[in-house]
This record gives sequence, structure tokens and C-alpha cells, in this order.
Amino acid sequence: MDAGPAQDSAAAPEIVVEGLGKVFGRRDAVRDVSFTVERGGFLALFGPNGAGKTTVLRIVATLLAPSSGTVRVAGHDVSDDPDPVRRLVGLISHSPLLYRDLTAYENLRFYADMYGLDDREQRIAELLDRVELTHRRYDLVRTFSKGMLQRLAIARALLHRPRVLLLDEPHSGLDPHAVGILDSLLAEIRAEHTFVMVTHHLGKGLELASQVAIMDGGRLVFHQAAAVDERHFAAVYREHVREGV
Amino acid sequence: MSAVGRRQFRALLRKDVTSELRTKEMLVSMFLFAVLAMVVFHYAFSVRRDVDLTFFTGGMLWVTFIFGALLGLNRSFVHEKDEGCLDGLLLCPVDRVTIFFAKMAANLVFLGVIQLLTVPVFSVFFVTRGYWGDLGALLAVLVLADLGICALGTLLATISMNTRARDLLLPIVFLPLIVPLLVAATSATTAIFAQTATGDALWPRLAFLAGYDAVFLVVAWGTYDFAIGEG
Repeated sequence: MDAGPAQDSAAAPEIVVEGLGKVFGRRDAVRDVSFTVERGGFLALFGPNGAGKTTVLRIVATLLAPSSGTVRVAGHDVSDDPDPVRRLVGLISHSPLLYRDLTAYENLRFYADMYGLDDREQRIAELLDRVELTHRRYDLVRTFSKGMLQRLAIARALLHRPRVLLLDEPHSGLDPHAVGILDSLLAEIRAEHTFVMVTHHLGKGLELASQVAIMDGGRLVFHQAAAVDERHFAAVYREHVREGV
Repeated sequence: MSAVGRRQFRALLRKDVTSELRTKEMLVSMFLFAVLAMVVFHYAFSVRRDVDLTFFTGGMLWVTFIFGALLGLNRSFVHEKDEGCLDGLLLCPVDRVTIFFAKMAANLVFLGVIQLLTVPVFSVFFVTRGYWGDLGALLAVLVLADLGICALGTLLATISMNTRARDLLLPIVFLPLIVPLLVAATSATTAIFAQTATGDALWPRLAFLAGYDAVFLVVAWGTYDFAIGEG
């Protein structure tokens, strides 16, 4: 299924956020946020709880509508043209978005049908193999450990071959072994996708990032379109965020 | 509906039916409620043995089904909401109306199964006159009334899913709106059980039920994108 991306060039911006605002009731959750992520880029978005990071990510994923401003993914506006964006975007969050009373295979088959994949069986087998869950394909997801759930969630997010991967605290609640597997998977697919990762974990974010940003109080208070080292960034973070790290 | 839409509809329906067949949460609670309601009705109306209950049968049956359906409707989005799967669903490039029709179809299947199991039991307990000749008419009433219950119920369950008091909100909004359907279904069913149903008496009620269904299907069609809201 072709999402019909408007811009295919490797240098073209994959995600363009301009003057983004989101209001919940009377509260401004996001205020005048703008940034661009080039194709193949990796933006690590940091900030304290309630800074608005997840809200920005959910707007890019079409799960929330912006109150003001525009968000474009591969040239498609998330408000006016959400379906092509949904075909281009995969989301990995701390919640696996999997049905616990279905097996691993049934979950992936369900999502494959929802995305209209033509090579469903082949793609499911390939991804289960990639996340090392082939031996558990017919087991109910409710019997999986947190680490296995997260691996299956990665398979779910990659199923429809998205160009953009949105990661919302993907390491949250994982044991060190599961963190290792997740990190090696992310490193493996790093070159194939454009990423936006929301995280509290400076080390994890900076390791893979090609650009970094900090949000606080709904605003983007720092944005640097280049990788930075952890020691320098910790000082920058303390300078911009009242809570510190 | 496009080929992709039909595939998505089948996937959604299969997912709900498979999950329910594994857990049986909705079916067991709906069935137990229906049987217990019949037992309660049996004792409540058996003070005098010489009273003919035939003219109460339609009311008893549909009150049982409507409250039983509420139990199921209240749980129809539990997996999506509690396991965070609503985000996964809304991330998919699927027409929101397809989600509505698949959810409604799943609710229809569950309510139909309960009716298949309980109508014969109800007939043994309360119906004294044979109605084999009107079985087709009874089926028509059941199908049309179920469609209205599930169309309205699925729409309202979706809206209430996003509220904090979802268990309270659904019955409070659903019950007043279902009264016209209840009146038509009750009078048609009672006429069938009492063997007083003639074509002239039944057709207006069936037509009313069909009109009720059409209204809420159109309302759901037009508003579901808004009703399911943001993930």
C-alpha cells in the first residue's frame, strides 16, 4: 500500500512541526513548538514530567489533533490528511498496544489486516524471527514477560514498514536484559528510519540522537540540530529545566 | 465498503469474537443475568397461580434483554481502553465507521447467542400458547430490535468509554433513548406470544423498529469519527 509521500528525497525534511499548540480545557499543554527532523534523522526529546513531550509525539502520530500550528509528515498534514501519515508512522510506547487474550501471531495478523498488508504471513514470520519470538508465536500475549511484550510491540510497530518511528519512553519498566535487546534492535534499524524519541534517560537518548531538544512547561526551551555529549548536555539540561536531572 | 475496508471489518470482528470466546466475560455475565432475571420474574409473578402472564411476557423478555445487553455493551471497549489498544487501533489507517460496524456486529453476535439460549428457556417458563406459526415474525422482531439496541448501544458505549464514569453514563443515556424501541418490541412480542398478532398489527411495529434502526445507524455513520474522539 503506497502512502504517496509528497517528498522522497533523502535530504527532504521528514517531520516539520510549525507553531504547534495543544490546549486541554484551559491548560496549554504545548505552546508554539517548532522543529524539523530530516529523513533518517533521530530527534531525542527530553524534559520533565508534564513538559508536553508525549503530547507532541501523539500529535505527530495523529492520535491527538493540534489546537494550533501545523505538523507535516513526509509532506502530509496530520490534521487534513491523516491516513497517509498513519501508513508512514509506527509508535512504540511503554504500553505495548497488544491484545492480551490473543496470541502473538493473532495480534500481528490483526494489525497486518488493519494496514492491508499483501505479504502478511511472510512479514509476520520475518518480524517474529527478528524479535526472537517465533517459538512463542502461538502463545497468548498475557503469558509474556514485559521484555517479550516490548519486543512484540516493536514487531507490531514495524509491521507496515513505517518510515518514521515514534518512541515514547520505550525503556520504561524493562529489566536490563530487555533493555539490551531493545537497544540492539534500535541500533539495527537506526539507518532505515526517521526517529523521534521521548525519554527521561539522557544516556539512551543521546547515544542514538542526531539532534536533541528539551521541553519544559509546554515550550521547546532548547533545540540543537547536532549530537551532543552527555556531560555537556546534562549541564545544558540543568540550565534550561528547573527540576534538573 | 472497499476491499481493504471489508478486510479491516473482518479483522476487527474476528479479534472481538476470538477474545470473547477465550475469556467468555461478556457471554457468561449476560447469560447469567438473563437466567437470573427469569427466575426473579417467575417468583415475582407467581403470587397467584390463576393469573395469565401471557400479556406480560413481551415486557419481561425485552427488559431482560435490554439490561443484559447493557452488561455486554459496557464491556465492549474494555480491551481497547484498559490494555491501551485504542491507540493501536486509532493509529491504523481505518475508517472510523468501519470500527463502529465491526463493534456493532460483535455486539449483535453476542446478544444473538444469549437470545438463542434464553428464548427457549423463557418460553418453557412463561409462554402457555404455542407460537410456532409466528416464529418468523418473532425472529424479525428479535433481529430488528437487536439491531437498534446494538447500533445505539455501540455508539453510546464509544462516547462513554472516554469518560471517567463510563459504567454509570452508558445506562443513564442509553435507557431513555431505548424506550421507543422497547415499547414497539414489547407490544409485537406480546402479540406473538398471545397469538393475537395479525399482519395489520405487526407491520407498523416492525416498520417502526426498522425506522428506529435506520435513524441510529445514520446518526452513528455521521458522528462516529467525533464519538471515538482522540486516542
